[in-house]
Amino acid sequence: MKLLEFQAKRIFAEHGIPVPEGVVVRGPGDLDSLNYPVMLKAQVPAGKRGKAGGIQRAVDVEQARGIAEALFGQELHGHSIEALLAEASLEVEREMYLSLLIDKDCGRPLYVGSAVGGVDIEEIAERSPERIVRQYVDPCVGLSSYMVRFVADAMAVEDRAALGSVMAGMYAVLEEKDATLVEINPLAETTAGLMALDAKVVLDSTADFRHQPLYEQLETEQAELDRSQVTWAEALAQEHDVTYVLLDGDVGLIADGAGTGMAALDLVKDAGGAPANFCEMGGLADADVVAKAMEVVLANPRVKSLLITLIGGLTRMDHMGEGIARYVRQHDVEVPLVVRMCGTQEEEGKRLLGEAGLHPFDDLLSAVKEAVRLARGEHDNTD
Amino acid sequence: MTILIDRATKVLVQGATGSVGAFQTKIMLEYGTQIVAAVTPGKGGQEVHGVPVYDFVSTACAKHPVDVALSFVPNRFALDAALEVIDGGVPFLVLTAEGVPERDMMALRNHAARNQTRVLGPDTPGLIAPGRCKVGVHPNRMFAPGRVGVLSKSGALSYEVGKALTEAGIGQSTVVGIGGGPLWGTTQEEVLRMYEEDPETDVVVLLGEVGGTMEYRAASLIDTCISKPVVALIVGRAAPRGAQMGHAGAIVEGERGTAASKIEALEAAGAHIARSPSQIPEIIKRLDITGVAAP
Repeated sequence: MKLLEFQAKRIFAEHGIPVPEGVVVRGPGDLDSLNYPVMLKAQVPAGKRGKAGGIQRAVDVEQARGIAEALFGQELHGHSIEALLAEASLEVEREMYLSLLIDKDCGRPLYVGSAVGGVDIEEIAERSPERIVRQYVDPCVGLSSYMVRFVADAMAVEDRAALGSVMAGMYAVLEEKDATLVEINPLAETTAGLMALDAKVVLDSTADFRHQPLYEQLETEQAELDRSQVTWAEALAQEHDVTYVLLDGDVGLIADGAGTGMAALDLVKDAGGAPANFCEMGGLADADVVAKAMEVVLANPRVKSLLITLIGGLTRMDHMGEGIARYVRQHDVEVPLVVRMCGTQEEEGKRLLGEAGLHPFDDLLSAVKEAVRLARGEHDNTD
Repeated sequence: MTILIDRATKVLVQGATGSVGAFQTKIMLEYGTQIVAAVTPGKGGQEVHGVPVYDFVSTACAKHPVDVALSFVPNRFALDAALEVIDGGVPFLVLTAEGVPERDMMALRNHAARNQTRVLGPDTPGLIAPGRCKVGVHPNRMFAPGRVGVLSKSGALSYEVGKALTEAGIGQSTVVGIGGGPLWGTTQEEVLRMYEEDPETDVVVLLGEVGGTMEYRAASLIDTCISKPVVALIVGRAAPRGAQMGHAGAIVEGERGTAASKIEALEAAGAHIARSPSQIPEIIKRLDITGVAAP
């Protein structure tokens, strides 16, 4: 879960990372009581807001009203602006970059810093890789003061104590909130001291079980500000731990594994078809989950044929057969259905499908070709 | 013995009393896997399909020699259960749980490394040495004994490929699932090295996917250290950027991690590239290695 700036900064403040004084503005009425000048920053889950005009300075309330009027309801990188963060406008002496992430290759937290910031770290890495400092941390030991000295030296920060407290705060966010990325770009030297002018935090959704009600509150807050973020289908899929990615074709796809789902997606394209979606149920799906997945995928009016490809290890084909057969009996399924089924308990699964009038394929490629053919509206005479 | 497991391997199952664990324990026993003990807190003294259940890993290990622990413990308890296995002195842990938090995987990996415990997973179907031993959930009938070593991030894709190989008369030495990430206990490079050393493996099949950087490192290892032929299939060619494709690690960010760039790297390293599971047996047959494909 990627946090909005004001959410991330609230967490920063809680962990002792200095941020400019700020308030969330939900409408023009909130602008009267601010201490001007302020920076007005659009709260949307996207980067590069400044370049797109989503960050502007206002010296008084008149100017702020004009800016707010222009921003509210506007689209920024595909998200409607529903809130602004109004922050004290500080005198910036230098902009730097600092992040803490989990390096997935070596399984350790990694600080990445640069004496120059305010632009994409990828850009800095490309143009001046020598200006980037990396410092790994042993997760069993934690942050050590030599690491702060090392990073401070490379970033030419004189106030080591201030940088140390920022680094310690970032580490605490990683540890105590299960963040996988904590990024401050820019981290600025200002007349008011070291400040996190921007904040990006990604939380690990798989750790939600130990962060309630916090994670749920953050999600609710985001949903209120960005209704376009999650569609009905995505929400239903999420509720049942199903991955659902909407694409622009007409062959609906449901798979019981990520790898085999991606293979089927590739094969649909290779066969000249266009996938309508990617839908993967994970290894522990039961009859209800496959029925829900069918509901989600078939709700897309573009779907002209539905390919369900199942090759169960953990997923039991008797459960899948039961779910699919039940769905077909209870609903008026108008698009042709192509099922490929093999794996654990497949005899029973095929029997249940047969009773529902479905004849599953055994081979993936044949099933893919059939689904693509049916989506084109070509029907076999023998059907 | 081929890599990691064999007929003599003694297995402990964590979470064997749950519905999934009990069902899979039964199937493994039927396959011939030697499951010597099961562990579920609070269920000590019971039996599951004739296997004695203990409250603690340490008490189970005091009664039985254990080579590998297979965990069916769900994500929120997976770290705790894994630490118990590592501290119990079991040298090899297979972790099936999906959705283990990254911070838990960091702690687990570091603790395992300090104790020389190998971890396979998370989000892995386990591994199977066809005809000898299965420590996982692979559908038995899709695999047959032979000389092709398979390693895969995805469980289901390895069944797909196992089925294609078996139907074409090509058996497998071992089929190893390293899991869907995003942090791995065992990497593609490590398994590639094992297959390189394994006298019972002649050809290696590498099944990878979009996202992350592991396949690039596998490619450079293949280029420099692997003499056996490698057939590679990378899925997710049609995956859109920025979308999570069902595995925690399967997400394309920018140019990094695309299927095309991984295929390019593997091809440059000398791997034979397959575009679908069914092409893999065709490629292996063309390699024409004695004893690999059934005459």
